[in-house]
Amino acid sequence: MRTKLCGVELKNPLIAASGTFGFGREYDELYDISCWGAISVKGLTLRPRRGNPPGRIAETASGMLNSVGLQNPGVDAFIRDELPWLAAKGIPVIANVAGSSEEEYAEAVRRLSDSPVAMIELNISCPNVRQGGVSFGTSPERVYGITRLVRACTGLPLMVKLTPNVSDIAEAATAAEDAGADAVSLINTIIGMAIDTGTRRPVLANVTGGLSGPAIKPVALRMVWQAARAVSIPVVGMGGITTADDAVQFMIAGACAVMIGTANITDPMSGPRIIDDFRRYLEGEGISDPGALVGSLRTDEADARREVFENRKSDVL
Amino acid sequence: MRRTVDVDATILSSRVIARGTTELALAVPRNAAPRPGQFLHIRAPGEFLRRPISASGYDEETGAARIIVRDAGRGSRAISGLGAGDRVRLLTPLGRGFPMESIIRDIASGKKIWLAGGGIGAAPLLFAASSVRAADLAIDSFVGFRDEESVIGVRELGECGSVSVSVGGLVTDAMTRAMESAVPDSILACGPVPMLRAIQKICAGRGIRGFMSVEERMGCGVGACLVCVCRTGTGDGWEHRRVCRDGPVFGISEVAL
Repeated sequence: MRTKLCGVELKNPLIAASGTFGFGREYDELYDISCWGAISVKGLTLRPRRGNPPGRIAETASGMLNSVGLQNPGVDAFIRDELPWLAAKGIPVIANVAGSSEEEYAEAVRRLSDSPVAMIELNISCPNVRQGGVSFGTSPERVYGITRLVRACTGLPLMVKLTPNVSDIAEAATAAEDAGADAVSLINTIIGMAIDTGTRRPVLANVTGGLSGPAIKPVALRMVWQAARAVSIPVVGMGGITTADDAVQFMIAGACAVMIGTANITDPMSGPRIIDDFRRYLEGEGISDPGALVGSLRTDEADARREVFENRKSDVL
Repeated sequence: MRRTVDVDATILSSRVIARGTTELALAVPRNAAPRPGQFLHIRAPGEFLRRPISASGYDEETGAARIIVRDAGRGSRAISGLGAGDRVRLLTPLGRGFPMESIIRDIASGKKIWLAGGGIGAAPLLFAASSVRAADLAIDSFVGFRDEESVIGVRELGECGSVSVSVGGLVTDAMTRAMESAVPDSILACGPVPMLRAIQKICAGRGIRGFMSVEERMGCGVGACLVCVCRTGTGDGWEHRRVCRDGPVFGISEVAL
């Protein structure tokens, strides 16, 4: 089950996704959270943020919309109050970092670089804040610019979390790679909205929010496949994973590891359940290294390429 | 040790107690029994998100938690449609409830405490009242309902003390009238936002303390996703606190409604 992501040892390729897992304390009361390969913490900003007013959630068909808006205690409080406990759990901690300006991103990442976090996840894809957030991720030029800036601020492995709210995900992934990212993670939520017909008001106080859950899985899987073909750095896949089979699909599409988010909200025991099922799947397939799954998608195109390769080999012989 | 668990609970009974309102009894593990003001986070059949429902009682003998569900939307209808023998996934117990030990101590020492409920908001108060009664003490209630068909809990509250029932009128009017002869030391409230606002005003004007249980659309139910917040505090120090974890019961003047 062991795998490596940007040089960081993971006991398995399953990671708790940012924003659905807090800093881990609440779930650790239900089960030992050290079963995860890693934990990506709630999005952190340089200064504390109160987030958006409620209502912040709406149920949709096979999914949910949220507009939390990056409520968090700020990096300093995280490093002081949350990280010592979390780091003592013995699993890699991924610090998800967001901001409203380049300076904010840079300073937050600098402060985290001297802490025991294992990796930075650069969140340029939050759709729920008025300034910054997703606007840093919607054009390849801006993805390149912010990644390059943050790259210069930290020696920690840098993973860039991409938004699906773009026309070409491969371009965005390539921009992050070109700017020095060690990995990309995708997808963040898809911007959506819901209306209460009784009151004719939006269900979310912020009007729009981010759609997550099984509803977005096919979109996420397609984007992970496209990104993985475009870059040579690791791709971490997420979007509506609720079963081990879902996780395996993302890895076949090209993800080196996967993140599980909304499933924690609907079923708090999702983590241990999916991890157990994933272990059983690997055993059943006789696979010891989950890396064997990565990018193993069989398409006619891939089969034809393999055939050409085999023929050439026999010509040479 | 009492702790939160995620379990498949069997529905022991279900009965319609008012228009569009169903009382269900669910078998929950004894070490996961809810206390007054705490809630169960229930995965309704066919729904994606769970729904938080306050406990309206707990029977030590049978190990059954009681809830009262009003049909407000798809989720609540899916829960009220469950019948005896059905099983449902739920987290129990969740949230910070009413501080019953100190409330009971206060009543025993002669302090006057009132319950104030509006509509389905009476449900958690039934639990608070029954735990006062279990301590051989009494507590007076003021409850209000839209119409006769919506009335719930009057018999149960009547077993625990005097009950004032307002039908079609404001429960706060009945409380204000009663305050002409005696002002309570504190109030435990649950109900629609306009009612809670009116109670906050009454309490602020007369120096009455107490607690209220608030409602918000919820995600994980355990405090991780930060979806179900309410605004507390005043001035620059205000903050968003989690209804599921820091509440649902807050100090009566704590929440900006």
